[in-house]
Amino acid sequence: MKQLSRGAFALPGTSLDFKTGTWRNEMPVHTHWGAPCHVACPAGEDAQAYIAKMMEGHPKQAWEILVQANPLPATTARVCPHFCEQACNRKHMDQPIAIHLIERYLGDEAIKNNWAYPVDVSKEDGEPVCVVGAGPAGLSAAYHLRRLGHPVTLIDSLPEAGGLLRTAIPVTRLPRNVLDAEVGRLLKLGIDFKPRTSLGRDVSLEQLMGEHAYLFLAPGAAKSRHWSVDGAVPSDLREGLGLLKEWLVVGDIPKPKSVAIHGGGNTAVDLARVMKRAGVADVHVITASGLPGPDADPKDVLNVVPREFEQAVEEGIVFHAHRTIQRLLMRGSKLVGLEMVHLKKLPGAGGRSSRVAFEGTETVLHVEMVVPAIGEVVEPQGFENLLGHADYFKADPIGQIAGSDRVLVGGDARGDRGTVTAAIGDGRLAALAIHAKLTGGELPDPKRRPFIDYDKLNVNYFEPAARAVEPMLALEQRNDSDEIEGGLNFAQVTHEIGRCFSCGNCLACDNCWTLCPDNAVIKTVERAADGSHYVFDYEYCKGCGLCAHECPCGYIGMVSD
Amino acid sequence: MDSTKLKQEIQERRAQMQSAPKEGVAGQHNMEELRKLQPRYRGLEAGHRACQGCGEALAARLVTEAAGPDVILTNATGCLEVFTTPWPQSAWRLPWIHSLFENSAAVASGVEAALKAQGRSTKVIAQGGDGGTFDIGFQALSGMLERQHNILYVCYDNEAYMNTGIQRSGSTPHAAMTTTSPPGKERMGKRHMKKDLLSIIAAHHIPYAASASVAYPADIRRKVRRAVSIEGPTFLLIHSPCPLGWGIESDISIEVARLAVQTGLFPIIELERGELTGVMPIRNPRPVTDYLKLQNRFKHLFTDDPRARKEREHVQALADHNIEIYQLRGEGVDALDTDGADTVRRGGVVD
Amino acid sequence: MLHALEGSQAIAQAVALCRPAVVAAYPITPQTHIVENISKLVADGKLKCEFVSVESEFSAASVVLGSAATGARSYTASSSQGILLMAEVLFDIAGMRLPMVLTCANRAISAPINIWNDHQDAMTVRDSGWIQLYCADNQEAIDTTIQAFRISERTELPVMVCVDGFVLTHTLEVVDMPNAEQVDSYLPPFTFKNKLDPKHPLSLGTLVGPEYYTEARYSLHRALEKALPEIESADADWAKICGRASGGLLTVDGPESASVGVLAMGSVVSTLTEANEILPGKKRVRLMKLRAFRPFPAEALRQACAGLKELIVLERAFSPGCGGILGTEVRAALAGMAKPPAVRNFAVGLGGRDIPLGTLSKLLDAAKAQGNEGFSILDVEPERLPPEDR
Repeated sequence: MKQLSRGAFALPGTSLDFKTGTWRNEMPVHTHWGAPCHVACPAGEDAQAYIAKMMEGHPKQAWEILVQANPLPATTARVCPHFCEQACNRKHMDQPIAIHLIERYLGDEAIKNNWAYPVDVSKEDGEPVCVVGAGPAGLSAAYHLRRLGHPVTLIDSLPEAGGLLRTAIPVTRLPRNVLDAEVGRLLKLGIDFKPRTSLGRDVSLEQLMGEHAYLFLAPGAAKSRHWSVDGAVPSDLREGLGLLKEWLVVGDIPKPKSVAIHGGGNTAVDLARVMKRAGVADVHVITASGLPGPDADPKDVLNVVPREFEQAVEEGIVFHAHRTIQRLLMRGSKLVGLEMVHLKKLPGAGGRSSRVAFEGTETVLHVEMVVPAIGEVVEPQGFENLLGHADYFKADPIGQIAGSDRVLVGGDARGDRGTVTAAIGDGRLAALAIHAKLTGGELPDPKRRPFIDYDKLNVNYFEPAARAVEPMLALEQRNDSDEIEGGLNFAQVTHEIGRCFSCGNCLACDNCWTLCPDNAVIKTVERAADGSHYVFDYEYCKGCGLCAHECPCGYIGMVSD
Repeated sequence: MDSTKLKQEIQERRAQMQSAPKEGVAGQHNMEELRKLQPRYRGLEAGHRACQGCGEALAARLVTEAAGPDVILTNATGCLEVFTTPWPQSAWRLPWIHSLFENSAAVASGVEAALKAQGRSTKVIAQGGDGGTFDIGFQALSGMLERQHNILYVCYDNEAYMNTGIQRSGSTPHAAMTTTSPPGKERMGKRHMKKDLLSIIAAHHIPYAASASVAYPADIRRKVRRAVSIEGPTFLLIHSPCPLGWGIESDISIEVARLAVQTGLFPIIELERGELTGVMPIRNPRPVTDYLKLQNRFKHLFTDDPRARKEREHVQALADHNIEIYQLRGEGVDALDTDGADTVRRGGVVD
Repeated sequence: MLHALEGSQAIAQAVALCRPAVVAAYPITPQTHIVENISKLVADGKLKCEFVSVESEFSAASVVLGSAATGARSYTASSSQGILLMAEVLFDIAGMRLPMVLTCANRAISAPINIWNDHQDAMTVRDSGWIQLYCADNQEAIDTTIQAFRISERTELPVMVCVDGFVLTHTLEVVDMPNAEQVDSYLPPFTFKNKLDPKHPLSLGTLVGPEYYTEARYSLHRALEKALPEIESADADWAKICGRASGGLLTVDGPESASVGVLAMGSVVSTLTEANEILPGKKRVRLMKLRAFRPFPAEALRQACAGLKELIVLERAFSPGCGGILGTEVRAALAGMAKPPAVRNFAVGLGGRDIPLGTLSKLLDAAKAQGNEGFSILDVEPERLPPEDR
């Protein structure tokens, strides 16, 4: 029996005998949500994670996190429209984190310092897989298959790997030394790369099926879609992608006085800029889409990197948004102009939306040349049996082609992708799926995971800070060979990573530890197993929820006990 | 995302976490050992019996952490005394004495006199709630300040007699509902104003007096360290929400405290020898209704009654008055303003 | 060494000899001269202590509560309203078992306001858990003050030394003031094991619930009971040093054969002693000086009353609507005797009314008229009141 002390004094810290944890209805738990940047990235990059690693002062480890998903970060940093930044929660406070510039910094550092992929090259204990097409999707699949220990044969009809990165993207956006460094590093992972090997000419699908456990098809979309205006076509018609490829290889481009490029993608904008720089006085882009802007519906804008659009406008390209070409004005077989009309995508009957042209909004544009850049379809040679009469392959979200168990497809050949990053993501998903099928593991889940919304963060703990701005060549300095955009230096990158909200992940800010009235949040010496730096002492935690409410990152949730 | 869905998702995540390998997860840490390794001084230990989300418990923890181990505490009767020391347990790791409601400052004076007589340099911190400081213990406090004792007096201000069941005190803000200032046909909560204690304290011409808020822990720490380093009487008024007494959920007591500061209703100021020497500027003053509407004690100000509107305007005028007389309006971004003071320092104005 | 000193000055010097570390006080007549004298000793550098001039008696008591808890020998003095204002703290000090000494310059209580002597102040806080010792003259006040520190520190109970306001505090008497060596040899330095100390951080003044509150109060009761022998030994030990005792718990004077006894506390005992000496031999009474009122020495009292037929309790306060306080307690204590004397109970000298030598004879006469359970105010003159208020 406890005996009363004289004067009823008590000994220090004896309240620990009283376990206030029994009062609790709800308990705090660490909950690692997907960050919006991570969830939005088609390639599966976890920007929040590599930024956190950068914050800790480990750029190489940060890059290693990055290349767990995407083997070509210096490339995607330059060509991706940056879905991560569009999703970034920071946009609700001021401007999104310049994630692509952090990615670019890490990618360039890796090239500069010859960092090796965290991949065991000697591991070859898997099953042989053949990848058809050495573009972004094929390279990504080959890379991930090698990470997982499968021998990989990579074939491509061209002499060099890179696909459209090499054939369709101007060096002013993607310098070839960057591309060469990343592709070269990737191919050195023990990939059996067979260039100049064309399916249907040098090797057949059946042959490949016989020699490999699985096939991943990433041939891209190299055949221009048929284009005419009510059946009329100028006799000297050239389509956009072809012109761009020709310019990239031989450096030649037609130089009419004026040109109208029809289309709303990167090919249209890239070509417009190339032609403008080549001396074409009037360059017009006619697109059914809207232009990027604060009030624009993201589903209804040009499918280009927003900065590319801004630069194009700077350079004098004239955009005609929400328009289509209704009639070609010909003198004989020569084009002298065209008639445009306003149109808009409107929801029609049955929920499908269709483009509606508005009578009475016709205008005439006097141009000497029209170039269609309305997209490409799969070149069917060698795939006839799989493709039938379709323009693209039909596959489930992980790339499995129905009816062909051992064949998966990804990238532009699917017809529903459209970015390098999506292609890289396809390659990764397919590699994981192939690995799972070969090892009896669980198939990857392509569904978007839940991510944490802005309103689940406590932004009282973040200061406004302006987004870093990349250096850019002045208009008069731009030419056909120098990269227009530059990267950030270390100090600028440090500033930029400091802007990250660390959505859904522990920031090690000490708020929970500082604000627990009950001393029930305990700091750990090393990082705790759940990735945080703290543990809850449930013997004393009363479940007040202060830590959860004051967590800046939404990393703490309250669940019923 | 609505809260049910959020909860459901957290539950799912938690289920995933529980099925994950249990390598060193929370339950497997040796909490007792880890507790000893915490890189801060523990003046107030876990296991005390404060309500969930208690602002006073948090404030006392922060004060004792910042003051360190060479301290003797006195305590007026009140919640803090009751929830920390139900015999045979004590949550204090510092020497601590409670005598009565109204004499924390006088007991502290005696402790300090004894230490002086014994040639010891231990610092004395007297603690009290707003009842024990603004009202019943005010005389003893005034005497302590006048006699220039080397004591830091900390008032945890939760704006009513919470320990006895939420009765109005001299610190209860205008229009607040308490059990002795209920709204009704003839009244809209407390008729009188919150006593301007700091001005009275300042009139004692003491070296340092300041206000602080639990929403700004770094500011509390800085002020406690400042105060204890001064030889002489110092005073700290810490705004400490009471979830029960204010009618708020336990998880928003910091949020509410922050709003009290950001609206201007609880100005954070520093006074030296009676002169205003520092304020926490408000970057973007919030309307008082943002603060009031979160609290049940102001619920009657959000009815159809025209008197409710008048009182809301009155409270807004009181906040505006504070902003004006203490010049709380910040110009531009300041690392130590109401928006910057406790940020996690990722980016922002300090780098 | 003999000095002609005012009572207050004598008490101040006695306090100084005990080397208190902290003295806190607030002025109230007739206590003021005591603390003024201590202040002067501090100002002159003759007493090294922290003298805290507080803003109220409430704070005076609170300051010594704090200083005692910090392990410092502590002293305060007050009177009348001051004692009542302190009341809440006095109970707290005793309950927390904090040793200290307080001089109560006994004075009447308002209303009506009256600054002169009686015992109503100390009587009002009799249940506070303090030891109360009453002094009959200034020599006793000096000696009791010194003894009080020893009793307090040994029992861990606070001690109130009661001296009659003006009658003692403002009266010049020839007293023998002990020297420092004598006091130092008697009173060791104060050590308090439960003191506030960061090295051993105890929490004092905790909340005790119904499970232990009864035991806490019981332990205070037992502590006071156990203080009885400490009071006796403190007096006896001091007598060995200075050759003079102050009366232990109570003293008995007068002829052993007397069948009537008179019991009183404080300076009135000196008056009664003188009056008793001038009474005719056969009328002389057994005169009892009760020194320890708390703890109440019931057993010693019963022994002192052996053989008495009648005991007259004369006191300087009363409980309106009930009667004498001391008288009621004496009646209760004697009820256990085989042949208890009949107890008569009178109050006298309230609010400073003079108690002349003739009081004893008047008392003996009045006792004959009073019933066994009665109580009267000896010197009241009801005709000074309107009839309806008599």
